[in-house]
Amino acid sequence: MKIKGISLKDLAILICDYLAKNDIETVLTGGACVSIYTSDKYVSYDLDFVLLSYISRKKIKSLLERLGFQEKGRHLKHEDTPFLVEFLAPPLSIGEEPINEINEIRKGNMVLRLLSPTDCVKDRLAAFYHWNDRQSLEQAIMVCGDNDIDLEEVKRWSIHEGMEIKYDGIKRKLQREK
Amino acid sequence: MLEPLLESEKKEKILLYLYTNGEAYPREIAKAFRFYINTVQNQMLNLEIGGVLYSRLKGKVRLFGINPRYPFKKELEALLEKTLKFIPDEEKEKFYTPRLRPRRTGKPL
Repeated sequence: MKIKGISLKDLAILICDYLAKNDIETVLTGGACVSIYTSDKYVSYDLDFVLLSYISRKKIKSLLERLGFQEKGRHLKHEDTPFLVEFLAPPLSIGEEPINEINEIRKGNMVLRLLSPTDCVKDRLAAFYHWNDRQSLEQAIMVCGDNDIDLEEVKRWSIHEGMEIKYDGIKRKLQREK
Repeated sequence: MLEPLLESEKKEKILLYLYTNGEAYPREIAKAFRFYINTVQNQMLNLEIGGVLYSRLKGKVRLFGINPRYPFKKELEALLEKTLKFIPDEEKEKFYTPRLRPRRTGKPL
């Protein structure tokens, strides 16, 4: 797969699958999942992968260098694409809770592992709850509009995070988009 | 107190400072404890990479705090709270008891 002109989704598939074939399990999180679940209505340039076990940065860097990526600070960047790739330390979690159900997108014999649409909404809401980031709330609303979201689960998780009042304030916005 | 666990006295002090003071910038912590700024910065950056801390820019200053999205935040804070109980009162007052409530401009301290 060529890197030049590659879409965010295809790049995510390429990297996730390449690392998995080298025994490094990752899951795509953050704004890139919003891009994928909204068919690029929201545009992200960050591919944030959470590592499922501790792997040295050196090992990842060396593997991605074979694909033409170079380390720039904490990110990896390829000159043929504007996307920035970053690897986050485990565990895979949203707020206090671990994530057990991971979604998969397949392209040919390649597999991208990423947050489910419902976990993607929770991930965006976590940023809204803890930092009052309204851009993240807008992203959560967009994902609700384009996907089948388990709002009961979002409510349960919000209460567990101690954010019932904030959830009550936004639930109509999330429902309206469904 | 947490040195055997954290393998660093400085890391313990940084975490206690952030826990009790909310947000802080590396130079502030280095100055308070008379640590080298580079040591503090490196410790804080490593904690950020591990997801324990977050950072954000405010003006030209990068502020750090305990990441509210860190899955072990509650447990970490419980550990830090207990650690505070073992710290001498003088040290606690000097580093870990800041005035966080607001004070109107012009009012004497």
